[in-house]
Amino acid sequence: MTTDASTTISNSEILKVTGLSAAYGEAKVLFDIDVSVKPGQIVACVGRNGAGKTSLLRSIAGFLNPTAGSVVADARNLVGMKPYDIAKFGVKYVPQDKKVFSDLTVRENLELASYATNDHNWDRVLEFFPKLKQHMDRKAGFMSGGERQMLMIGRATLGSPKVLLIDEPTEGLAPGIVTHLRNVFKELAKMTALLIVEQNLPLVCAIADRVYAIKDGRVVAEVSDKDAITFDACEQYL
Amino acid sequence: MLDTFVWWRGIALMIALLCGLSLVLPLPFMNEVVIFTIYVVGCNFMIGRLGYISFGQPAYLAIGAYSTAFYLFYFGSNPLVGILVGVLGGLIGSLLIGPFFVRLRSDYFAMVNLALAVVVFYLTEKVLVSITQGDNGLWFMTQMTSTPVLDLTIPSQFLAFGIIVTFFVFAFYKYLDGTIYGACCLATKLNEDKLQFIGYSNFSIRFLGFVIANTTTALAGAMYAVYLGFVSPEMGSPSRAAEPIIVTLLGGVGTLFGPVVGAIAYTGMKDVISNMIGNWELFIGFLLVFIMLVADRGIWGTLEPILARVVFPKSRNTDK
Repeated sequence: MTTDASTTISNSEILKVTGLSAAYGEAKVLFDIDVSVKPGQIVACVGRNGAGKTSLLRSIAGFLNPTAGSVVADARNLVGMKPYDIAKFGVKYVPQDKKVFSDLTVRENLELASYATNDHNWDRVLEFFPKLKQHMDRKAGFMSGGERQMLMIGRATLGSPKVLLIDEPTEGLAPGIVTHLRNVFKELAKMTALLIVEQNLPLVCAIADRVYAIKDGRVVAEVSDKDAITFDACEQYL
Repeated sequence: MLDTFVWWRGIALMIALLCGLSLVLPLPFMNEVVIFTIYVVGCNFMIGRLGYISFGQPAYLAIGAYSTAFYLFYFGSNPLVGILVGVLGGLIGSLLIGPFFVRLRSDYFAMVNLALAVVVFYLTEKVLVSITQGDNGLWFMTQMTSTPVLDLTIPSQFLAFGIIVTFFVFAFYKYLDGTIYGACCLATKLNEDKLQFIGYSNFSIRFLGFVIANTTTALAGAMYAVYLGFVSPEMGSPSRAAEPIIVTLLGGVGTLFGPVVGAIAYTGMKDVISNMIGNWELFIGFLLVFIMLVADRGIWGTLEPILARVVFPKSRNTDK
């Protein structure tokens, strides 16, 4: 089922973005965006480079101030909140560039997140990403791109976040790691909601419960029927 | 037990080095080194941990020195209390200034601190001349009373006191390095946005670091005041703004013991070279350029990994 962007959304969303517009100075990048994520859902945003996907995540995470609209997570309006308060509230952003704190060890990277969230139980993180256990005392800057991505996602899962905003998680990663992340995302969805920006359409088709196609800063289509999320349906927006 | 030994080992060795040098080098030189080390520790923390270069360190040094001097000149005579007043002055100054300065980007931060150094210099030299006595300075050496155990009015005992203070300063900064706050400081330097992703406010981290670093600088100012028994605006002159940065770079940015190594090297170069040639500043300038070019990690930053391999082959990187 493909509907237009103004489809009515129910009240059970953990994250609801309504009429969101944003700009970098004079350059408007988002126009009247509506996006919603329900608990336990994996929602994907697809679109070409420069379509506004990352700007959408940055707006939700508080790094780009919206010029209009609202971002409500768990009944709280996030607009105007500081990025670190949004993160503390449980809406965590995992950026695209895989830049961890390179001079800190894996352990220190996790400790930082633990201290901020008061969640010192790393069992789940290490269960998702057993490789991290082997590199605990290695400086994060000396890890591969895939391992850094694991660390960033693992770090974000501490503190039982309400929503994870993950930007292009598989970009530049080996197929084996992409498969691993796909399984992790499915497991993560059992404990939190995920809003993922992704251009890897096979991955999107495999995990997404809902897909938003973004073009020129606007949501141009929403596919909310899982059976309708196919490679062909998504590809036309890339 | 072993961990405790390893934790203290580096500090103990560095203090032993200072004690050893005190036996062979002139007393004024060593007192200068010890105070300069404490002066540079704050600057080193700001550059190495927070990613902030400050050209305003003389201002914080002067705040500490003048707070101590005001107490010892106008109110009291106990140099230990004077030093505590100097530290308190630095703490209050940092708490008042910090909220405005740490919001700035690193380059603006450097320049606004330089502006502060100019302001403090002119306040002490011209504007507040009725209480600072301007260029004449405040003299209080003869007003200071002896202190029990270590008499700070006697240079040799002041040196012992200075080494003990240095010991605690190193221990404090090493402890700080190992805490979550220490990791946050490094993280805010590496990538301030990403620290916010996981729920930390860069402002809070930088503000606390600013206060800690500049209170340490004020401690050095207070110690200068007591050691010299005199303060003048020249102590906080903006023309000396580069000194702590140069010594930080010379010693090794962000290393725990870089400040003491840098202070020994810089003070030594100044003393030795100024005795040999007239325009010694020019020579030191060239020497520093050379050192930066061949060892951009500074003296301790270059030596530490080598020493760690040779002296403690099984436990490297214990003293960052």
